[in-house]
This record gives sequence, C-alpha cells and structure tokens, in this order.
Amino acid sequence: MGELVVDKHVKYILSVEKRKDSFESVVLEHLRMNGAYWGLATLDLLGKLDALDSNEVIEWIMKCQHESGGFAGNIGHDPHMLYTLSAVQVLALFDKLNVLDADKVANYISGLQNEDGSFSGDEWGEVDSRFSYLAICCLSILHRLDKINMEKAVNYIASCKNVDGGFGCTPGGESHAGQIFCCVGALAITGSLHHVDKDLLGWWLCERQVKSGGLNGRPEKLPDVCYSWWVLSSLIMIDRVHWINKDKLVKFILNCQDTENGGISDRPEDAVDVYHTYFGVAGLSLLEYPGLKAIDPAHALPVDVVNRIFFQK
Amino acid sequence: MRKESMILKGNSLSLLNEFELILESDPLIDEVGFIHPSQFVTLNKEASSSLEHEDANFWSRDHKLAISTDVLLPLYKEVKDVFMHAISQYKRHENLSDASWDEGNLESEVMKHSKALLLLSCDFGTAWNFRKLIVSKKQHMLIFLDELFLSALVLSYSPKSEKAWCHRRWVIKMIAGKCSTMQDIVGKESELVEKIAERSKMNYRAWNHRCWLVSYMTTEQVLHELKKSRNWAGLHVADNSCFHYRTRLMLRIREDHCHKLEDGTSDGNDEIYRIWQEELDWNEALIKCYVGREALWLHRRFLVFSWIRHFTTNLGDTSNYRVCKSSINADIGIFMDNELHLANSCSTIPDNEFEDFQAQAIYSATYILWLTKQISDSQGIELQEKPNLGSLKTVLNMACPERSFLSDISTGITGKCDEGLKENRYLLR
Repeated sequence: MGELVVDKHVKYILSVEKRKDSFESVVLEHLRMNGAYWGLATLDLLGKLDALDSNEVIEWIMKCQHESGGFAGNIGHDPHMLYTLSAVQVLALFDKLNVLDADKVANYISGLQNEDGSFSGDEWGEVDSRFSYLAICCLSILHRLDKINMEKAVNYIASCKNVDGGFGCTPGGESHAGQIFCCVGALAITGSLHHVDKDLLGWWLCERQVKSGGLNGRPEKLPDVCYSWWVLSSLIMIDRVHWINKDKLVKFILNCQDTENGGISDRPEDAVDVYHTYFGVAGLSLLEYPGLKAIDPAHALPVDVVNRIFFQK
Repeated sequence: MRKESMILKGNSLSLLNEFELILESDPLIDEVGFIHPSQFVTLNKEASSSLEHEDANFWSRDHKLAISTDVLLPLYKEVKDVFMHAISQYKRHENLSDASWDEGNLESEVMKHSKALLLLSCDFGTAWNFRKLIVSKKQHMLIFLDELFLSALVLSYSPKSEKAWCHRRWVIKMIAGKCSTMQDIVGKESELVEKIAERSKMNYRAWNHRCWLVSYMTTEQVLHELKKSRNWAGLHVADNSCFHYRTRLMLRIREDHCHKLEDGTSDGNDEIYRIWQEELDWNEALIKCYVGREALWLHRRFLVFSWIRHFTTNLGDTSNYRVCKSSINADIGIFMDNELHLANSCSTIPDNEFEDFQAQAIYSATYILWLTKQISDSQGIELQEKPNLGSLKTVLNMACPERSFLSDISTGITGKCDEGLKENRYLLR
C-alpha cells in the first residue's frame, strides 16, 4: 500500500490558485471562497499552513464581505450562507477571527432564520437543512448561538428525518450522506443528538461502504472520496465508527492520489481537484492516519483550532 | 488550442455579440451543449447543409444550440466582464434613485448578459439573483414563465445545476396563489423531472425538486403521480431516488387519510391497505425479477416498517386494546413468516457464484435483520416467535465479512427477541 504523498499534495494545492488558463478552472470563480477553505484546511491538516502569505488571503476575504454582513464567493458577487461559513472557517484557521465584526456576521445569519426554524441560504429564500448547519456552525465559532431560536432550529432539522434514520434537504426529502452530515453536525453542536436514532442511522451509513472499501453517498451509487468525510464524521458523532472497515477505506483513499503531481480524485484514476483533496485528507485525519492533525467532526476544523476558539477566550 | 491563441481581446467582444445575437434571434432555443469543433462537420452533414463553415464557433438549428469548446474560455471571460459591468451600473442608478436613468435599458442589459453567462456557468448565483430582482419588480405571469424556460435550457446542459433547480422553486413560490393554472404547472414540472432523470441517472437535485412539488399537489394529483411513476420505476430499478419519490407520495396519501379519519369523512383503512399491499406485491415481483438490487430491498424496508407502524399506532387506546394488541401481534407474526420465506428464497447462492446472486443473498439477509431489529426496538410490538436467523447469519458471515457491524447487531436482537417472546406468552395466557 502506498503512503500519503504529503509534499506533493502541498505543492498541488499551492499551484491550483495560479491556474487561470482553462475554462474548467475560471468557471468556478464564483465559489472561490469554498475553494480557499478546502485548500487551506488541507494545508493545515498537513501541518503546512505557513506555506503561504496569510495577510494576502485575509485581505481578499474581507473584500468579499457584503454590507449585510454576509460573505460572497468572490469579490463583487452576492453573499450567501455557503461562503459566509467558509470565510469564517478560514479566518479561524489563521487565528484572525478578531478582524471580524462578529455581531454583524451573526445578524446576517439570524436574519435568515424563518418562522418554522429553518434557514434560507440567502435573501432569495431557498430553504435547505444544509443552511441550518451553516448557520449553527458559523454562530458556534463566533460564540453567538444565542442570536437564533435554537429550539425551533433543532425541531426543523428533526423534521427532516426519514424512516431509514437519515436526513434530507427538507421534510420528506431523500436521505443523502452530505445532508446527514449537516443535520447530525448541527444537532451535535447544539447538544441535541437525542433526535438521532443512532443504531438505525449507523446501519444506513455503514451500508454505504462498498466492496472496494470506499463509501458512497446513497444506495446504488459509486464510491467517492468525499463521502469518506460526510459518512465518517457522522459515524463518529453518533459513536458508531467501529462498525465500518477502516483499513479498507484508508486503502481506497490512498489509491485515489495522483502520486506524481499531487491531489486526490473522487475515484482511482480520475482527475484530481481541490475539493476531493480536502475530503480525502480530512477522511484520513478522522481515520487517525499518522502525521496528520486531528479534525473536529462537527466544526470541520482542526481540533487545535477548535480548542483555541472554545478554551482560550 | 489553435483557435484560442488566435482570439485577441477585440475578437472576444465580437464573439460575445455573435453569441447574444443567436440567443436573441431564436428565443425558443431549448437545448444547448458544448462540442468539439470537429463535431460541427458531423452536425452539418446530418443536417445536409453547406451553409456553415468548418471553423464556426456556434451551430444552431431547430432550436438547438452548440458552442465550440475552443471559444468557451474567451467567451466566458468576456460575458462575465460585461455582466459585472452591467450590474454595477444597475446598482449605482438604483441607489441614486435618479429619475433620469433609463431603467428599462439597464434592466434589459442585465437580463441579456445574465442569460448568456448562465449558459456558460450554470451556478453563477449572482446572475440568477439579478434576474430574480428584475423579474419580481415586473410581477408579470409571462415573464415568470420565461424564467422557467431559461432554467430548463440551463438544465439541458447541466442537469444537476443546483441554482437552476432553485430558481424554479423561487418562480413557483412567487406565482403560487396568483395563478389559476397551478395544477398544470406542477404537472409540467413533474414531467420535466422525469425527462431529465431519463438522461441523468440518479440525479438527486432533480428528484428532490419532484419531492418538493408534492406539497403543492392535490390529492388526485398525488394518486395520479403514484400511478404514473410506477412504470418508470419498474424500468429503472437501481434508481433509489424514484423509489424515494414513491415513499414521499405514499406518506402524503397516508397523511391525507389520517386527516379524513380525524374529520370523520372516512372510517376505514381499506384504501391505505390496498395501496400498501399493491406496492408490496409489486416490489416482491421486482425483487425476484431483478436480482441483487439494493434500492428494491431498501424500498421494502420502508414499506413493511411503515405498514406495521401505521396499523399499530392507529389502534390507539381503545377499550379492547389488549385483545387488539395480541391479534395485531399475531398478524405481525404471520407477516414476518412471509417475509422470512421471501428472504430465505433469495438467499441461495448458486455454485457458479454470480455476483448478483451473492448481492441478493446479502440484501435479503440484512433485510430480515433490519426488520427484526426495528420491530424489537419499537414499543408495543412484540414478535411472537423468534425468527430463525441461523441460516441468514451464515450467509452474512460467508458472503460479507466486512459487514462486521451486522453480527454486533444480530447478537443484540436475538437476546431481545428472547425477552419479547417470554413477555408475549405471558400476555396471551
């Protein structure tokens, strides 16, 4: 079995930013903030966050903040909860949360809570249990959970639960490992995991492991490295991670590396990207792969960063 | 690459003009795709036309549009620049609330460039947002319907585009209540999802949209959808999303039924019983026909468990509760016997060891384990007889050594069943 090619992954992440010569790379500029989080969180887990200039990144992040308090995916774009959490997470990585007006960001988020406890992603009103996670995780990092109606928020998430124990986008939506992570993560942060049927959900999540050792996100789908994160983190939060075969999963993730040029892909032999590189490394971190920083399964940040936020006030 | 290097800054503007002219001259374009320039030759041959030259950047006929992959990068950069410029002008004038500004002109610029941009970058949220802003000021039915049309065009090249699906929901929420043809619109939305699901397998976003529509449907529509989607599901037995859609429809029917029971407009479970029984029979037939399909077994878990739950919770606290309870428990016993029989008949692995049969054996064994655990975890339901899991456990250990969690669980279940069994005997005497 090959090993994690740490130096090559670092080199790959640093090179992604410089590539502006293909349609495929420039067409994703509207979500650059998410890209920054995936890339920088990977560097931090690999212990190499100092490989780039933090001031430059922070300056750019603050240019993406909208007057409403929310952050956009790039300069000049509209704000959305998706980018607001990424911006806050990156600032947390650099220990620079102090550059933020936390109340302003918190007001943006609490303003998006609806009467039934759910959250809209932005002012245009699309509702999704993912946005509940984004809101709760972000407010938790900012120590501002008191700004929302927590009871209603939790009840809405609980209403997205299905007969199979999983969670969907809205009440009655199909269970999906990504949505499950969001719902379980939000319930974990708010201390409401009693809403989860742990054996039932754990069963469904364990059935995501296929013969190759990889995990899929829904029944009958091919395995994909990103579910190493969504499924594993959920299993850890509900204390059922011993139910899957960890060795086979480690092997699957390592097989998805580009050992020559760095980066990790969705499946062996596919093209790499920064999204799958992050989820591969984060998955290995959850699997306690040697040499990686530990990651917090609910906040999706390295444990030392989370400790800094909550215990060094 | 040849073409990219030839395109200079001035050229990309004329490229954009050419693109937007095509979009304006044919507002009925309903399909768009990116193709390699060498494929233009084939397209022209098929259309038996000599009108287009080989080094064309676009191809358009019969309301279909193809864009050469050679021009995507310069075209995208240009359209993004003009769009960003248009919205900054629009915002500036809006903030000044300057009476002299030509609002109509600025709006049509934003609408034109945002459309071109979204045909290259489907999830460019800011472009969708500015369309929402302008359209909501008009509050005109036909303009709302145009937005549904544009969203469908974007979905033709990017069927998983989250923002395009989201835009549809926004439009529907805007017109709901103001529109007499709501039922028609919901019906057409459902058809669109089915069309897209045909080309784009297991598309979570598409099916999620269809599930979302259910709350806007009338009871008749829900019944009609249940009937209609059955045929599709039977032809796509690996598409879990379609079975989930049926789950959603069935739960809505049960919900409506419970309201009727409360109102006193219905007094029996006959219809629910019939719908569930039909689905169970059909599912069993599919399981036997299509060997080793996970989605079918998972659908059965839902059917059986929700069936049992419905008939036990609807019992309530009637005076003859104890009698009913034991008779229900007896019924569940018979029911479980049938399920065990089905699982056992699916758990033989022939000597030639086809992968599908192995998968079928695993799914059938885990199905019974799952069901047994759910029932023994539920309050108020006791299994009269401990199901004989022995042979199924052997199957699991043999075929599926990595599912170690199952042996954990099955040991737990066997213990619980023993307790349940003792309690139940006591109750019956």
